[in-house]
Amino acid sequence: MKKSRIFAGFMAAAMMVTALTGCGGGKKDDGVSAERLKTVKVWATGSDNVRQIFESMVKDFNENSDYKDQYQAELNFMLSGTGAQTLPDMLAAAYKANQTNTDYDVIDMGGDDLSKIIDLIGEDAFVKIDTSKIPNSSKVSAKSAVAADYCQPYRGTTVVLAYNSKNVSEPPKTMEELFQWAKDHPGRFAYNTPGTGGAGDSFARTTVYNDLPEEAMTSADQKWTEQWDAGFAKLAELHPSIYQSGGKIVYPNKNQGALDLLSNGEIDMCPMWADMLLSQRAAGTVPDYIKMSTIEPSFTGSVQSMMIPAFGSNVDGAYAFMDYMLTDSTQEMLVKQMAAIPLIDTSGMDMTGYEDLAQLDVSKFRIMSIGELGTAFNERWDNEIGAIG
Amino acid sequence: MNKETKRKLIAYLLVLPAFLTVMAVVAIPIFTALKTSFTDPDTGGFTLSNYGYFFTTPNELKNLGFTLYVVVVTVVLAIIIAYLLALYLRFIKSPISRAIGSLYLLPRFIPSLVAVYAMITIIRDSGLLNRISQLFGGDFKPGLMYQASGMILMNMWFNVPFAALMITAGLGAIPDSMIESARDVGASKLQVFRSIILPLSFKDVVIASTFVFMSNVGSFTTPYLMGGNFPKMLGISLFDQFNKYLRYERAAALSVIMFLICSVSAGVYIYTNLKEKEWEK
Repeated sequence: MKKSRIFAGFMAAAMMVTALTGCGGGKKDDGVSAERLKTVKVWATGSDNVRQIFESMVKDFNENSDYKDQYQAELNFMLSGTGAQTLPDMLAAAYKANQTNTDYDVIDMGGDDLSKIIDLIGEDAFVKIDTSKIPNSSKVSAKSAVAADYCQPYRGTTVVLAYNSKNVSEPPKTMEELFQWAKDHPGRFAYNTPGTGGAGDSFARTTVYNDLPEEAMTSADQKWTEQWDAGFAKLAELHPSIYQSGGKIVYPNKNQGALDLLSNGEIDMCPMWADMLLSQRAAGTVPDYIKMSTIEPSFTGSVQSMMIPAFGSNVDGAYAFMDYMLTDSTQEMLVKQMAAIPLIDTSGMDMTGYEDLAQLDVSKFRIMSIGELGTAFNERWDNEIGAIG
Repeated sequence: MNKETKRKLIAYLLVLPAFLTVMAVVAIPIFTALKTSFTDPDTGGFTLSNYGYFFTTPNELKNLGFTLYVVVVTVVLAIIIAYLLALYLRFIKSPISRAIGSLYLLPRFIPSLVAVYAMITIIRDSGLLNRISQLFGGDFKPGLMYQASGMILMNMWFNVPFAALMITAGLGAIPDSMIESARDVGASKLQVFRSIILPLSFKDVVIASTFVFMSNVGSFTTPYLMGGNFPKMLGISLFDQFNKYLRYERAAALSVIMFLICSVSAGVYIYTNLKEKEWEK
């Protein structure tokens, strides 16, 4: 009931916007002007670092790429978490209103947004990727976990184990070793409160889901919640060994909270996003001796992809932009500006300062998508683990 | 239409935009929240269980007690410090007091987020105090972060200048002549304070307390950044119910509970104001 009303609101807004832009452009229904075909409208959403990298890429595409004489790209960016209409909502509204030849030429999608848009309008709302039109895609082996045939992955991101190499010479290799290490070194390990940042989410969830069948990782079926007990017992057992301040066990809030504790030497180990760790280390706010390693079974990660909505206006232009994103120089830009995990062979790139990234194997990333169960998970964690005190 | 009705009409028209704005952004949301708080999330029918949850779950009761503890301690400490500061500013005339008089409001102009992070940098176990102690060979850990004590310390930063501002204004209204005449007939400093200054400034103290109380019941930034995982301040608990667990009905019930807690303080405020009118008669 509530959802449908919100959706109707979005639809109305989207229809108004498209109606207004339609008036301005004087575009006809039956086709797309030749001039429009020279423009590629790129849509992206995320935090500010995503805006920065997309602005750099669009500028570079227009000035230096092989396609610069053929196409000019334009960026439309939606900052996430600002309460405005999200990109998946806008796309769904345009699709359900039977819009064609819209401005959504090529879009940046991944993670929850991707699952959401596929849930809302299905794969068929997108153009099946024709790899022959993206020569550079042959260098990429990574696949999206959702709608793989409709997504062209271009960067990866994952949670790793960050540690202080001054105090830890041999980081744990497996989850079991990690738990043992934490118990042997009380107060030197922490993970951020689940629900306040993806690194803590990943640690708590993989701890619970490592005991469950693999299929549970990507299922929102209520039945799996009955099998959480063993994992939660493990988390409760770990509780006394977590970081303490003023004689009290503390789980920091947000990814940054955990990373700050690690940088300040208050803990020696925590799960952390690879890109956060590396970009802050490059900026000098995290000391050089904070290093990262991966464990088995690994924490979760994902790939970010570009997609072409079937109701866009410039499919060939979209392929050109995708191809550009997979060149050595663009991938190097992604590494340097946002510590993204490159999806192509790094031998042709300058990886100085980011050598750790080249070692991360994207094919081993575990994808987790438990939908609404995530909410129940966080609530249970808060009530059972956070409240132990 | 006679002149009188015309004037009234114009007056209503002038008030109308403000009235409609208040209705749209204050009254309607309050009414909706009230309705939501009595709604069963599954059946959509009437229920008291959303309220029951907060008064029967041990964890939630601890959150409530913790919030009241932090708020009451904050009010008491902030008012005592602010009162002493205001007395100093009012009755001691020196270059130092004038300098403090122009500086004490400065914290109000620093964005709260910046102030909280500044405080964290100083008091965290690896912060400034710890590093200074290390220079002298010690390893002093304040142990304030993630504790009620740290939050109360931070609350002083926000509330002392505010309370001092209100109390200073009250003390400023006490005429010097009154104090001088009391001194002339032989009253000691303590007597002047007890029978003149304190009674005359008591109302401002109560009003300052109610404001400090209300602004702290729903505080968010400080407990979010400096608080521990449990027990939580109600502001955080509300945020979790709404944003993390998506339990909108419970969030609405908690908002109403917080509103009721604040309204006790609002009642004191209104009562104090009414009393003054009687005294003025």
